[in-house]
Formats: sequence, structure tokens, C-alpha cells
Amino acid sequence: MSSEATDLDTDILTTLLGFLERFPTKSGELNAQTDLSADLSLDSVSTMEILVEVEDHYDISLPLNMMANVNTVQDLVNEIKPLVESKP
Amino acid sequence: MSISDRFTELAHIRDSLGSLAADPSRIVMEKILSPTEAVIDGKPTILVGTNNYLGLTFDPDLIDAACEAIHEQGSGTTGSRMANGSFHSHAALEAEFAAFYDMPAAMLFSTGYQTNLGLLMGLLRPGDKVVLDAHSHACIYDGCRISGADFFAFKHNDPEDLRKRLRRMGPDAEGALVITEGLYSMLGDTAPLAELCAVAKEYGAWFMVDEAHSFGIYGETGRGLCEEAGILDQVDFITGTFSKSLASLGGFCVSRHPEMRLLRYGSRPYIFSASSSPANIAAAHAALRAVRNRPELKKQLWANAERLHAGLSGLGYKLASAPSPVIAVRVPSHEEAARTWNELLASGVYVNLVVPPAAPDGESLLRCSLSAGHSFDQIDRIVAAFDAAFGNATQSLQAAGAN
Repeated sequence: MSSEATDLDTDILTTLLGFLERFPTKSGELNAQTDLSADLSLDSVSTMEILVEVEDHYDISLPLNMMANVNTVQDLVNEIKPLVESKP
Repeated sequence: MSISDRFTELAHIRDSLGSLAADPSRIVMEKILSPTEAVIDGKPTILVGTNNYLGLTFDPDLIDAACEAIHEQGSGTTGSRMANGSFHSHAALEAEFAAFYDMPAAMLFSTGYQTNLGLLMGLLRPGDKVVLDAHSHACIYDGCRISGADFFAFKHNDPEDLRKRLRRMGPDAEGALVITEGLYSMLGDTAPLAELCAVAKEYGAWFMVDEAHSFGIYGETGRGLCEEAGILDQVDFITGTFSKSLASLGGFCVSRHPEMRLLRYGSRPYIFSASSSPANIAAAHAALRAVRNRPELKKQLWANAERLHAGLSGLGYKLASAPSPVIAVRVPSHEEAARTWNELLASGVYVNLVVPPAAPDGESLLRCSLSAGHSFDQIDRIVAAFDAAFGNATQSLQAAGAN
């Protein structure tokens, strides 16, 4: 993995954690392995709000069908990263 | 999740509705008296939550046509058109839809839900791009999901947000599919179709409009909001249902692209569903003639909508939209909405109780859908019932709080 890619991973993770910190976690911890549904109890409206914030921050659009692959914060990072890298 | 876990989850949903005494599955109409009245719990009840916009369900022309079709063609088609053949009545109704819209292609589906599912599953493949209004009906989301396409939501009725979504797609925007509805069924608001269509065309995208709730009641000749917006020559696909203005069961899609007819060979819901019964087709056909030949129905519906909107506005309620055949009263508290819904039902008025996530924006709705069959007297009784029901619900909530 190049240092550039690592930087992007870190940037996306830091950004996401910043958006998510207003939601209380059941375990009291918020990190890459936090489960968005089980730990954060994000309902569909809150999830949509977070996604719009991420989209506007990076000027990308996240496909709704992508969410089927997403459980943890890291899963979301993994979905966002290629969209940021391939921005037109 | 196991099946037993799923049953537990569903029981929880049922119990949460039951705790509010607001389980819609308990509403059984014991006798249907007219398009706007039924007996519920032994009591004559005004129906203002049926989507029976033109009030045609008891129209003698429709009933005679349906009965005649049963006698001539039997009770069912017993199969799909691709596997078991087409009845002439299905082909005739398709031809009439194509003629009404002056478009070369029309296809029928077995329900409104299957119409959007069938069109989208037939058109889209994995990797295709779709941008849909965030308030789109479940069948549009489901069609996109099952197709495997990448789909994105734009902010409800916001052409600039649609533009943003298409811009972000880059070259993929050309050939993407943009989907919106005409009249939105929950809030009763309408899409800015001319603006949305212009943005879609600016990016070279296809444009599809679901007129399920607007067909027959908008546009000079009843062809829906696309007609009213003046975009019939630009919209690529229009879908609609028989189960609202057309007082039957089934759905249609029309297109200015003759190639749309090819979907018969690639739309699984079309290929693998039995076609609508002869009675359903005959009733829809008679209703389509009523849309074309009886403009007074539309006029009466709009007069009723204006009267109910004015009446409820006069009571100070927060209504979700300008006057339209769908009038939704916003209620911030789910409990107040449920109690008011029960009070309305007890006083002989049936409306739709809509709670999040089906109700957008986090509020609950008491949703009314008007019919040309309502009399002014019924509408005045509905307004009076709302006034009394909210008063009783507020009192009982305050009493519960005091205890």
C-alpha cells in the first residue's frame, strides 16, 4: 500500500469518525471496527444524513446499494475510498 | 438472521402498532356501501383514505364491462402472456393507452407495483446508474435494488440536487436513468417535472415518471402531470396503475421509444406473472374511457379537494402541501396521531395513519385521499370529525400525562 493510499484511508476514517461522534455508542468506543447498526443504532434517517455529509465533503455520490456491504465504519471507508480515487 | 428471529422482529412491529391501538390490519370493511362509504366495526364509515380518486369503483359502466368480460372470457387468464398467450382485451387496452398518449409503445403489467418493478428489472443491469427522488415509492427502490444497478437518491423535488448528482457521475451521467413521481402519495405534493426533465436532458439522461397517483386527475385531458408540465414529447417512460383513478387492478407503461415493447422478452415480472383477469382489464378499459370522456369527474374531485383543504386549514392544522387529491395533516407526536386516528374511526371517518419511516421528515401523518364520489356534506362531516377527534385526543393525552 502506498503512503498516499494510507493517507487517504486515514483521512476518510478521521472524517467519518468526526461525523459519527455526535451519536452515542453502546460500548462507549468509536473506532474503525464500530458496527454502525449494532453499536451506534443509526436509523435509516440518520444514516442518510451521514451519507449526505460524506458525499458533500468529498463531492462524490454514494450508491444506496453499497450499504448492503457495510456493517462497520471500516467497511464504509472501504466503499468511499475507490469513489474518491476515481472522481471524474 | 434466522426465520424465527425475523418472526420476532415482525411481532415487535405489530406489538408497537397494537400498543397504540393503531394496527391497520385490524380494519376490516364488512360491507362496501359505495366508493366513499363502508361498514367498519358495524358502523357506516366515510372512507377518505382509499385512493379512489375518480370514485369509479361502483360505476355502472365499469361493473357492466367487468361482468360482460367474465361471461365472455372467464374468471381468469390462468397464465402469463408470454407462456400462455394474450387475450384480445389486453392487446386492445394496450392499443388504447398508446393512442391516448400518442406514443408507439404501451405495455400492461399485473399490478402497479409490478409495473415499476417490471420496467426497471427489464431496463437495468448491474453497473447501470440511476438517480431517483428520495421520496420514491418502495417499488421503485425495489426495482433498482433487484436489477443490480447503482442507484443514488436526490433530495425530494430538488432539481439542483439532481444536477449535483449527475455532475458527480461524470461521463456516466449520459445514459443514466432519472426517476421521479408525479403526485407524491404521502405528502400530496407534486414534482417540478419540467425543471427535473430539463436537468436530466442537459446531461443526456433518460427520464421516467411514475404517474400512479396523478394519472386521470392532472393535465388537460387527464394524462397526468407530464401533460400538465408540457413534457410528453420529452419524457422517456411513463408508468401508472389501474388501482387508483382507474378503479381496477393492474398497471401500464407507455413510451415514445418503440423499443420499449422489447421488454416483453426481458422483464421477469412480465414474463413470469399471470396477466390481469379479464374483469380487471375490462373495468380499467371502461375507466380509461371515463377519463377521456367525463371531465366532470376530475372537476368534482378538485372541488372536493379544495373544500377539504380549506376546511382543515381553517382549523389551523399544519397541512403537508397545497390543495391536491392527497391532503395530509402533519402531527409531530406518533401517539397523538394514533389517538386522533382512533377517534376519527370511532366517529365514522376512515383516514390513513402514516408513521415514520413511511412518513417522511420524522413526523406522523393523518392522510386523506379525496374522491370525486365524496359529497360536500361528507367533506363537511370529515372536517367536523377532525375538529372533535383532535380535541378528544389532546384531552386524553393530557389526562394520561396528569396521571
